[in-house]
Amino acid sequence: MRLTSLLDHPFRDAYAAKFGALPGATQAWIDGLRQTARGILNTSGLPGPRVEAWKFTGLGDVVKIPFLPSSSAEDIDVREIPLGVPHIPGARRIVLVNGVLSAELSDAVNDPPGLRIGTLKHYLAREPQILKPILGGLASSGSYPMAALNTAYMSDGLVILADKNFPGSTLHIISIGAAGADPVAFHPRHIITLAAGAQLNVIETHIGLPGQSYLSNPLTEISVGENATLKRYVMVAEDNDAFHLSTAAVALAAHGTFEAFHLVVGGGKVRQEVAVAMNGAGATCRINGLYALTGKQHHDLTTVIDHAVGHGTSSQLVKGVVDGQSHGVFQGRIHVAKDAQKTDARQLHKALFLSKGPEVDCKPELEIFADDVQCAHGAATGEMDPNHLFYLMARGIDADTARAMLVSGFLEDAIATISDELVRAAFSDLVQSWLKRRAA
Amino acid sequence: MALIEIKNLHVSVQGKDILKGISLTINAGEVHAIMGPNGTGKSTLSNVIAGREGYEVTQGSVSFDGQDLLAMPPDARARAGVFLAFQYPVEIPGVSTSAFLKTAINAKRRTEGKPEIDAMEFLKLVKAKNKALGIPDDMIKRPLNVGFSGGEKKRAEVLQMTLLEPRFAVLDETDSGLDIDALKIVSDGVNALRGPTRAFLVITHYQRLLNYIVPDYVHVMAGGRIVKSGGKELAYELEAEGYTKYLAAA
Ligand SMILES: Nc1ncnc2c1ncn2[C@@H]1O[C@H](COP(=O)(O)OP(=O)(O)O)[C@@H](O)[C@H]1O
Ligand SMILES: [Mg+2]
Repeated sequence: MRLTSLLDHPFRDAYAAKFGALPGATQAWIDGLRQTARGILNTSGLPGPRVEAWKFTGLGDVVKIPFLPSSSAEDIDVREIPLGVPHIPGARRIVLVNGVLSAELSDAVNDPPGLRIGTLKHYLAREPQILKPILGGLASSGSYPMAALNTAYMSDGLVILADKNFPGSTLHIISIGAAGADPVAFHPRHIITLAAGAQLNVIETHIGLPGQSYLSNPLTEISVGENATLKRYVMVAEDNDAFHLSTAAVALAAHGTFEAFHLVVGGGKVRQEVAVAMNGAGATCRINGLYALTGKQHHDLTTVIDHAVGHGTSSQLVKGVVDGQSHGVFQGRIHVAKDAQKTDARQLHKALFLSKGPEVDCKPELEIFADDVQCAHGAATGEMDPNHLFYLMARGIDADTARAMLVSGFLEDAIATISDELVRAAFSDLVQSWLKRRAA
Repeated sequence: MALIEIKNLHVSVQGKDILKGISLTINAGEVHAIMGPNGTGKSTLSNVIAGREGYEVTQGSVSFDGQDLLAMPPDARARAGVFLAFQYPVEIPGVSTSAFLKTAINAKRRTEGKPEIDAMEFLKLVKAKNKALGIPDDMIKRPLNVGFSGGEKKRAEVLQMTLLEPRFAVLDETDSGLDIDALKIVSDGVNALRGPTRAFLVITHYQRLLNYIVPDYVHVMAGGRIVKSGGKELAYELEAEGYTKYLAAA
């Protein structure tokens, strides 16, 4: 992808001094990746309003902030897991502070047989041969604007490797963003690789501590092997002045399943890009989500699903509730290649306006080159249905309670797509507390 | 004493006159039936009683138990004891039937100064009512009316009525879409609620329902007016002769 825009980024100077200290800097292959990334970044900058995929999410405010690199957890002292992090029973908590593992806050348990979890730093230093074929393989710096920024400055992250037929485990990655006196940016790089037949649930909570603005720019490269299943549930409750620009690049092998849910209830400006390459026949991809925005919050969920081969199924249900002067964006591209016969692709985006102030943009893009396929997409935005409101009130329920029930119902419809029962319950609680905060 | 008193009610929708002077007094303990052709304003009357927006009352009044019903918002009407079994109940995705029922029951209890119903008591109550109405127990776990068949929707309306024990219930074509067995079950549900303190207004197109819910009075509505009133035998007459002569009169 050629970026036609040039938003000069604020990272050049403050970061320059850190180059030598970035992990893996002494290894030619990783240094090469970074050089390429920096080259792209320096010539193209960050995507501006003329870049089609970014036209609804401007970064003009991001480039004005002199973010400093935050590369170590010692920069900031976080003593406990913040309130607002959902409790997922039985999940192993792995805590990152500004993208760096905090052993202190993480659950001290051994990896179960068949699962290896380590930091990017560790793997770069000790087992680079494992990373070499993976890192940058799914998300090259040229393919995603944020990947270039991430690759240039990535300093740590998690590497999660599940062996063949690993029977399953639930990880809860809690990513805490915390700026001290100065705004900071961090660029965590995560790898999740499931070998054939492996099962894994990964919950990600992105949450912020009060303070200066920060930019969280995580990039996750995900590979799901044959017959393997990854469930990835992402919850964003960053602070109101935080920027969250994340990218996930996913490759699915034959009969593999990738189920994602993106729940966004916080953050000043949030953009989540998820690209799934359905490379193997009979793969299943579900990307569902919800956003609930107030004030001046901005959220953008951009998905790209590539049905490269046949007999794949993809489904998407994304629901948004918008209030205040918030801005919700959903962009969903579905590409069905010429030979991807018997593809079944469905997409639905619905937004509910709670007042007249917000804005919602929805851009579905279907590129279908096969003829024997089932593709359906729909989008609907509107205010609360007065017939629904009347029905509840006609049973004695007061207007405020009735409205809250309908908003909750609208969102619960999306929550219902979460196949993991415990996460479904936890995410439902998050929606309920959002409603309570709003009513208060 | 009159529980509900409708006096010279004129209603227009989007500038079009629909009800053209309806007067009807219903005492506690009575069951009235309104019969009439499609498009004559029966649902309009129901909706005005329940308080739906979009209806302009241009003349007349409706009082309930001495209160000005038209001045009350719909939720207050319901809590005061007015119930409408809708002709077309809406489907509300995401709102579970059981959570909805519980909220509605508790709204009423609060008004009456009673404590909220506890979860066990609620389940027991709903189970008992479900059984009487032939409703499978798992229906209340589903989202409200979503994917319910026509018959299930009507039963669910009657279930709500049974749980909320209104003092005045309007049943708007609750019989349409029901087979004969369902019709009997639903009628039994209504009859079980009949008593000296309650009143019903049963709106129907067919005389059939009135074999099971036997009314004290039958009114014929045509062209936005009540054109004839009589005893239950009027229903048989209508069944035999149809509405044609009333349409001409209207
Ligand atoms: N919301 C509405 N908007 C426009 N016209 C309406 C509306 N509701 C009812 N009407 C009109 O009012 C008339 C009476 O309708 P309705 O009360 O539903 O009759 P019935 O229940 O007797 O079949 C019809 O002509 C119908 O088209
Ligand atoms: Mg009608």
